[in-house]
Amino acid sequence: MTHFTKLTTAAALLLGTAGAAWADGHSVSLTPGEEINMVLLPKFLGILVFDQANEGAQEAHAELGNIGELLFVGPTPENSTAGQIEIMTTSATQGQGAVMISNNAGDQIVPSAVAAQAAGTRVVTWDSPIPSGEGEDVFVAQVDFASMGIVMADMAHSILGGAGQMAVLSATPDASNQNAWIAAMEVALEDEKYAGIELVDIVYGDDQAEVSYNRALALVDQYPDLGVIMSPTTVGIQAAAKAMQDEGLCDKVRVSGLGLPSEMVSYTMNGCAPEFALWDFRDLGYLTYYTAYGLASGQMTGEIGETFNAGRMGDFTIEEDPGRPGSSRILMGPFTVYTAENVEAASN
Amino acid sequence: MKAALNRLQSWEGFLLCALILIILMNANLSPQFLSFSNQINLFQLSIEKIIVALVMTFIIINAEIDLSVGSMMGLSACAFGWMVQGGAPGGLAIVICLAIGIAGGALNGWFIAKVGLPSLVVTLATLIGFRGLARVLVEDRGINDFPEWFDALGQQGFIGSIPFALFAFVILFVALYIVLQRSGFGRKTYVIGTNRAVADYAGINTGRHKMILFMASGLVSAFAGLLYAARVGAVRGDVALGFELDIITIVLLGGVSIFGGRGTLVGTLLAVLIVLNLRNGMALVNITGHIQTGVIGLLLIGSVIAPRIDLTRLWRRPSGDTS
Repeated sequence: MTHFTKLTTAAALLLGTAGAAWADGHSVSLTPGEEINMVLLPKFLGILVFDQANEGAQEAHAELGNIGELLFVGPTPENSTAGQIEIMTTSATQGQGAVMISNNAGDQIVPSAVAAQAAGTRVVTWDSPIPSGEGEDVFVAQVDFASMGIVMADMAHSILGGAGQMAVLSATPDASNQNAWIAAMEVALEDEKYAGIELVDIVYGDDQAEVSYNRALALVDQYPDLGVIMSPTTVGIQAAAKAMQDEGLCDKVRVSGLGLPSEMVSYTMNGCAPEFALWDFRDLGYLTYYTAYGLASGQMTGEIGETFNAGRMGDFTIEEDPGRPGSSRILMGPFTVYTAENVEAASN
Repeated sequence: MKAALNRLQSWEGFLLCALILIILMNANLSPQFLSFSNQINLFQLSIEKIIVALVMTFIIINAEIDLSVGSMMGLSACAFGWMVQGGAPGGLAIVICLAIGIAGGALNGWFIAKVGLPSLVVTLATLIGFRGLARVLVEDRGINDFPEWFDALGQQGFIGSIPFALFAFVILFVALYIVLQRSGFGRKTYVIGTNRAVADYAGINTGRHKMILFMASGLVSAFAGLLYAARVGAVRGDVALGFELDIITIVLLGGVSIFGGRGTLVGTLLAVLIVLNLRNGMALVNITGHIQTGVIGLLLIGSVIAPRIDLTRLWRRPSGDTS
């Protein structure tokens, strides 16, 4: 069921993170103190990682001394698509300098994003890009999507001891970040090293705790030999780990994927989720803010090859997105794999 | 003068006052509110829902309900995407989608009018059924390779900067206003909604009437689904999920009685304008998410319940009137 551009993902593997090669050595240093009104638009409100991204953006906002306003507004989960389109449209009407969006509307956001750009609003995506790349200035990618696939395959390999059944519990069916990671993992799984791992199913918990919880239990019923549930979303992994713990299934079925140390620490310590990975969402919000500020203030052009300085995080270069030919991205990376050894320190 | 005062005391008069208040408040709070492009956006962002609200007014006045409209919008949009992706010409796909709408409405109508099942049950079933079909057609991935003219129809001005869908809404409103408020069909809609048994004895073919209404509801919903697909330029299985509740609450806010027999299209239009202006105003002052949902929810609770409380009845109860 997931024929999601395997070819382009393979190309992504080949290109890897060669982005820096385009840099000509000159790095744009952003002048602080401009007045740029900006909007940080998450998939929806009430999710810890998006709040953390907001903290990072607020930090950059203060650091750059922006006299303008930074708004953190978003829709409710049930109304995510229509809500994101509405906020994008309203932001253009308000004449916002930039909208920073973690896109949950798939390509349905394109017409409103194109209209916003036409009205002079810069559109920077982060966390989850616009699949077609239309209406988007640049995507701030948390990790290289292809290497994300290898990390998930490796965690499954280590948990299963090299052989066994794996199922994926994802977010919404049209989330372009999760889909790209799953596709990258499917490519990675073709390697001989993972020959013993069988990917039996991909299900969607819509990034809602209760739905994800029930989907995880349904997976266990449907596949009696299931060894690991891989959930590339912080909502799904926590719900799945809780489901396995509540039903006393942790000896048989382990949970892995992308999780927040503070939410996952107990499950890692009791063995329900022995390994998971994540990057820092504060950093992602911080870097996204620097990018959007640079573009909206006209100090950056957004062209491929341009290098700029993002405060405490150092220099970054805009490159072509290997997963979406014709679109550009800024690669943040790297991510951390958490185990019983380091999760407690990270959870505080 | 006295007639004007009486009119103001009606539910429509109350809605009109509320609307004027909201518009004044919006204009005061946001300098962009009255701009032409914002006024267009205000309608565009919910245009599909308000188009369906017009036929829903007929259905509810007829003492029925159609819960399947959101799913039919989704089915129509997904069927269009599926056919176009498979290489079908856009024009043909549109015709087939509208036919699907009529067929879906006929299915509802047959169970309700001929078999005699309650519309709540029948359309709840088709709400699930139509949505299931939509998800089967498009599976989990979005489809966005529509013909260019189709995208342009939804995203660009049709005449000047006024989009096609807004024209469709205005034309449909005028046409349906004449049908409901000025024709025999409209009067029958009220009579059947007030008391179906009486209408039957009076020789009205109530089954046929309901059949026509549900087919019209399916057709307009399918049309609205296509408008949605054109506006956002992409479809996926969850298109228009949950729209039926927004549509029904708008109609109830407009003063249409859930028990049938009462309500007007002018009331529905006023309710549409209130909800859209309130949403837009809040978005412009950056009230989004749960708070926006909460404010509109409170307004609807108040407005749907308030006119239905019979004060005289509450007053009489303590006196032991058991009749």
